[in-house]
Formats: sequence, structure tokens, C-alpha cells
Amino acid sequence: MKIFRQVTASLVAFSTIVAACVFAFVVVVTFVVSAFRGVEISAWNIVTSQIARWYLLWAGVYVIHNLLPIAVAHGRTRREFLVATSGFSVVLALAMTLVAWLGFLAEGGIYTLMDWRADEHGTPLAYFLMFLVWCTVGMFCAAAFDRFGAGGIFSVPLGLALVIVTTVRIPGSGNLPFIRNIPSLLGSGWHVMSVAAFLIALAGTWAIARDMPIRLRTS
Amino acid sequence: MRVDVSGLTVRYGDVTAVDDMSFSLSGNKIYGLLGRNGSGKTSLMSTLAGYRRPIGSVQLDGEPVFENAGAMRNVCLVRHTPDAADKGDKVAEALNFGKAWRDTWDDTYAHELVELFKIPLRTKVGELSLGQRSALGVVIGLASRSPLTMLDESHLGMDTPTRYAFYDTLLNDFMAHPRTIIISTHLIEELASLLEEVVIIDSGRLVLQEEADVLRSRGTEVTGSASDVDEFTAGLTVLGSKSLGRTKAAMVYGTLDDSQLIRARQLGLELGPIALQDLFVHLTEPVGGKR
Repeated sequence: MKIFRQVTASLVAFSTIVAACVFAFVVVVTFVVSAFRGVEISAWNIVTSQIARWYLLWAGVYVIHNLLPIAVAHGRTRREFLVATSGFSVVLALAMTLVAWLGFLAEGGIYTLMDWRADEHGTPLAYFLMFLVWCTVGMFCAAAFDRFGAGGIFSVPLGLALVIVTTVRIPGSGNLPFIRNIPSLLGSGWHVMSVAAFLIALAGTWAIARDMPIRLRTS
Repeated sequence: MRVDVSGLTVRYGDVTAVDDMSFSLSGNKIYGLLGRNGSGKTSLMSTLAGYRRPIGSVQLDGEPVFENAGAMRNVCLVRHTPDAADKGDKVAEALNFGKAWRDTWDDTYAHELVELFKIPLRTKVGELSLGQRSALGVVIGLASRSPLTMLDESHLGMDTPTRYAFYDTLLNDFMAHPRTIIISTHLIEELASLLEEVVIIDSGRLVLQEEADVLRSRGTEVTGSASDVDEFTAGLTVLGSKSLGRTKAAMVYGTLDDSQLIRARQLGLELGPIALQDLFVHLTEPVGGKR
């Protein structure tokens, strides 16, 4: 519980501050753009659908690559750490979904006041699942690279396949290659695929990291 | 805390770092783990700390350590650079991890040590000098107050005054909070007076485990006129010698028997203890194919 509290409190607070700063920046940029041309898209949607997921991926990498060795060095087992960070990934994804949604509400108010048009954005569930899977895939790939060195490259295609699944239900995030129509046919049922992607990434992280050696840091 | 190692092997691919090693430490002493570069010291300590799964058995107070929450709580290993600190974190944040995650952490003591070693709290760990990073490792190790505290060349890079401050601090803390402390070092003579027991390893194998005083008594420095010293040491294992004018001092390995002691007195030779470091060099450097 100590690990969960520490990691969640510090990283969720940090992520929220980063998101608030980015939101303020995006609003300023939107006003600057409006001076030259009409606003027709949601700038916050670009951030939440394109940029935020990479941040969540970084958070997953950071947790395994940076914090796992520290936890073991402070006498915690890998199992304790992985239990705590599995819970952390869910809380961080929830928190970021809430922040994203508050951003859409605030942006919607500004757009209405300024009589601008915003394009469509995804549902909170779609954002939550996208953030969750990207964070967990970050953990999975970091564990693979930390354990197998260059051999971790083999985790990338699987990670890529898992994260692509989650972007399908987010407008502006692109479509799946080859099976473009299947997500539309499945509708909300497609979210089950995102849940499966999360479970696969989490299982992969556990399988690799639960007895991973803690190597000497050389720098 | 008692440490029992049995049949321990650590391999990295084709390289065997620790080779079927077995020994026991009764605990509550300061142990010196001595070995040349690449002898397997760090691999051994890493396994004792649960950093890697052992091939063989590693037990602390009768409990296996790897992924055993109860045993892991009682161990702290500080390697050359602190594992317990991320280089992107500020020193204060690095100490916060100890406070948050380690049950035995003494935060007041940690801050006293930070002041003693003059480590800036607001500087990032990666921006500290090598000596300051080493000192931070020592702070984390000592403030952990772990029943098994291991310092793996953690005073590497410290300047001489800081090293002396570290030795004093280590001894004072051990007196106040007795526990099992294992220190690996190449600065053997500097630390020799602190060590109660010595474990020497070489090429991944245990060479010797002995009380430091007993080990010292295994060698003798013989000083006197060059001809008398040469006569006395003929047939003995001489580790080294130095001459000044007609006076010569020779380091002899092995316990002297009564007849040899009497002969030394007859020749007017002075007998004294030998440096631990010289014994270490002899024990880890093959001479004529034998140790």
C-alpha cells in the first residue's frame, strides 16, 4: 500500500499539473489562431487523442525503468511493486480521463462564448481505455528492454498492436489498417478488445518483471 | 542478522561470476568482503540483497531472501552508485523514497548525514560529483538502519577527509545500532581497523573467511640486519621485503612456531604484525601456481 500511495500521489499530482499547463497553453494557442482564421476543430481533442497517450506511455516506462529498481533497493519485492503499479495505472488513467473531460467542458464553454465550432471527440470510456493500455504497454516494453536489453525490441510489435486497438474509438486518432470496418460494426463492443489489450500488456509486464534482475546503473 | 549462503552460483551468459560458493556469517559484526576486480563481490552482494534470483541457497535468519517480503525488508545494499536514487530526482526526493518505503528508515539521521557530508538537498542526483553521489549512497545505507546493510565500494570517489568522516560515522552508528554490516573495499588498510571478520573471494570462489585479528596473526613482519633477516626467512614464504641501509624488513606468511620465535630473539630480530592488505594480495595472487 505504501508503494501505491507514494507512486499514485506523486505521479497523479504531477500529471494533473502538466495537463493543466498544457490546457492553458492550448487555449492561448487557440486564441492566437482565431486572430488569423476561424476555429473549426477542438485543440484539446488533438492533445487528448494524440499527445496524452504518449505521456501515459512515458509514465508506464518511468514506473518500471526508474521506480522498480528503487523499490527493490528499499527492500520491497517486485510482486509488491507490480501489484501497486497495476492499481496505479488504473488510477492514473482514470485521473487523466477526468482531466481530459474537464478540459472538454471548459473548452466547450469557451467555444460557445466565442461562437467557434469544435469537432467530435470520444467517450470517457474510450479515453480511459486508451490511457490505461498505453500506460500498461509502456510498462511492458520497459520491462522487456530492462530485462532483455536490445532483445526488448521484440516487445515493440506486440505493444504497437495492443495500443492501436485502443485508438479506434477516438475520433482523430486514425483507423486500423486492413480491418477498417470491423470496429464500426462492433460499436461499443470494441471496448472489450481494449480491455483484452490491457490484460495482455499487464500479464506480459508481470511475466517479465516479477523475477527481473536489478542491474547496476552505470551512469 | 545471520547470513547463510550455500552452493551459490551466479552466471552472466558464459561468465561465471560466483561459483558454487558456501559460507555463513553469524551476524552483528562489521564484515569486510575483499576481492580483486571481477572477483564476484558485487554479484554476491546483489544476490544477498534479492536483486537477482539465486542458483543455490541464500538465507537471512533462515528465510530465503529472493522475493520474500519479510526478508527483503531487512536488507539494504548500496552499490557504487546509489540504486535507491534516480539520477533525475533531487536529493531530497531520493531521501523521501526511503522515508516512504522503508519501515526502518531514520529520516532525522538521514538529514544529519546529508549535512555532515555537505550534500545539497535541492540538487539532482545526476548532477552531484562522484564523491557526493558516493556519500548519498552511504547516507541511504546507514539511514536505512537495515539489520543487514551492505556497502559495495560505496565510499569510492570520496576525498580523504570525507572517507575518514564516513569511517567514524559508520563505527559510531554500528555501536549505537549493532547490526550486520558487510563492506567491500579496495582501500583495505584504511578500513582494516573497523573489520571484525574478513571474507576473501577470488574468481567467484571463497578463498578464506577468518576473524580479522586471526588473519593478521597469519603473517609477521621481521625486521633486523639484512643478513640475519635473510638467514631467518630462508625456507619461509616471504611476501615482500624492503631495505634501508643495512636494515631489512621482510613480510613472512604463516604462523611462526616456538623454535622460530626463539631463533628470532637470538638474532635480535623485531617481529610485528603484517598489513591486512599485504596478506590479501598474497592470498589472491597466485605465486608459483599456488596460493
